[in-house]
Amino acid sequence: MKEDTTNSLLLPSILSSKENPEKRLFIVTGKGGVGKTTLAMAFAKYLKDSDSRKVLYNSFDQPLPEGLLKELSIPYFKLCMDTSAKEYIGKKLHSETVAGWIMKTPFFSSLFNMLPGLGHMILLGHIINMLEEDPELTIVIDSPSSGHAITMFESPLNFRDMFRTGLIVNDIDRMEDFLFKNKHLQVLIAALPTLMATQEAKDLAVELEQRNVKDPLFILNDLLHLNSAVQNSQNTNEDHSQNNDELPQFIKEKCKLELEVLKELDQSWNPIAHFSETNNKNLVTAIVHYLNHGGNPS
Amino acid sequence: MTQEISLKPIEIFCGTGGVGKTTLATSRALFLAKQKKKVLLITIDPARRLKQVLGLEDKEIGALHKIDCAIFDEPNVEFSALLMSPKTTLQRMAQKSENERELDNPIVNILTRPYGGMNEIMAIIEVQYQLSLKEFDTIILDTPPGKHFIDFLQSSEKIKQFFDKSFVEIFKYMGKKFNRNEEGQKSGFLSLIVTSGIKKLLKYLEKVTGADFVEDFIEAISGLYLNRQSFLDALEFQENLKKESYSNWFLVTSVEQFKHDEAKELQTEANQFMHKDSYLLVNKSLSPFLEKWQPNDQNSELIRLRQSMKDRENKIKQLSKTVGHKAEIFFPEVLGALPQSHVKELAQHWK
Repeated sequence: MKEDTTNSLLLPSILSSKENPEKRLFIVTGKGGVGKTTLAMAFAKYLKDSDSRKVLYNSFDQPLPEGLLKELSIPYFKLCMDTSAKEYIGKKLHSETVAGWIMKTPFFSSLFNMLPGLGHMILLGHIINMLEEDPELTIVIDSPSSGHAITMFESPLNFRDMFRTGLIVNDIDRMEDFLFKNKHLQVLIAALPTLMATQEAKDLAVELEQRNVKDPLFILNDLLHLNSAVQNSQNTNEDHSQNNDELPQFIKEKCKLELEVLKELDQSWNPIAHFSETNNKNLVTAIVHYLNHGGNPS
Repeated sequence: MTQEISLKPIEIFCGTGGVGKTTLATSRALFLAKQKKKVLLITIDPARRLKQVLGLEDKEIGALHKIDCAIFDEPNVEFSALLMSPKTTLQRMAQKSENERELDNPIVNILTRPYGGMNEIMAIIEVQYQLSLKEFDTIILDTPPGKHFIDFLQSSEKIKQFFDKSFVEIFKYMGKKFNRNEEGQKSGFLSLIVTSGIKKLLKYLEKVTGADFVEDFIEAISGLYLNRQSFLDALEFQENLKKESYSNWFLVTSVEQFKHDEAKELQTEANQFMHKDSYLLVNKSLSPFLEKWQPNDQNSELIRLRQSMKDRENKIKQLSKTVGHKAEIFFPEVLGALPQSHVKELAQHWK
């Protein structure tokens, strides 16, 4: 189909350490339920197995699917906001005890609760530290949701405005250099193929750009018209007209809507097929396979 | 569905992202408006899909708007809509308590940016305010997706924590001398903090953040403290949400591939706030289409595709069993491109 060639898969080249060696932090974001977790796992597995990288997976202050990660042999690490914050403040004040004492006061713990951005920023800082300490390391993050992603990138700017000077501001500058000046960050925005969802992904990219995050890669996930069964039926249709009724009307209409959505999108959108799988492990494996074969769903 | 959903002062639409929460909430508003009910639809999701559905402009954020339902082919029907802005809510609060000066503080201004971190807390205050006006038969709340929604539900708890006992006691102690009309307010305030034992903490903080911040910070805290009544009043809202007589809960999910796990997680977390008048809304259901589809026995690939689609529908149906929603309502997938056509068609499925 024509649409397949216009929206070719850029993902393998973005993920390639040969072509883009500076990219070391991949953050997969987008609305809930667009397949962020599955995609992030597939990218981590792809980076590890097909690009031979030292990879760690993380899901940013939400529970890690540890069983699945183990099954897929994807290495991961855990982060806890409180511990990271304590460690950070401890380093700044040269005393873990004082840091623990500060964090325990109801005033500070509620300040942290009230300002989720502060915790997010500290977590991001922790991750950047890990990457700076180990130049071989690549980290893939399954970010909670689009709103949280914006909060995460806005927080450093907000806290710089608030604090103006001091140790935290120095650290914020260092973080921004790492992510943006040295281009170590690659954000991937996933969306499902509807007009509302793709518009929202574009809006998110604009919001992120205002917070210094440039050139995200878009992923259009779960495309039914790229499903191998659907494609094969369509191919059969072209060869033998007697099989014309194989696909039910609603699938044809869904495919048609998908193609209409795709038509409005530019090159930075990567199409990912819908796979006839309900098991998460098989699904991740199918996406890795798809990436390895340059976007061939079968 | 066997019975009608009774009308309550507030209806909450929650769910993970991209399940059609905003579209369904709008279809509910349209359905009730057609029955001549006075409806206010509020979105507190900073992503503001409602703007797209209702065709509003950025400049219209923060104020109430009449929506002419002609956009959904329902002329002579209207409802009100509000795209929440934390800034507007704060300004009204400050005017009411005559603390505009105190709240015009760099830290408070940053925090009340749409993604500044106080969105959820300000939303509680806004909804409580709109409810107190008693101008509407029902207020429909389109909440932010997933984790943000839990933040929203917990925010009154956070308010309580923020003005927690020890904090409040410090202020109580200072309150005797704390007169905001006095000229030397700030220095008096500072000396009180010094005597109250926060001094040490602030000294450490100053090392990390710079001295100006500490001054702004104290001013911000005192500004918020002067408005504590507005914050504490909003706690009432959360108590009311728990009452059956006050609210209907709609947990929205869809049968798309990746929605199930997140819906289940949200359901578990939201369950502590929900009561028995909660409904599971299953959007984009393909069941009516799948039942009619019989692929050729020979085509194993298509049989597998249909099976995986059926599995998803069944998995979603299991969701209502674990929590015991009053009813589950299925909304068949609307095969159309424009959000307005979705709203129009979805409104037909309400009873």
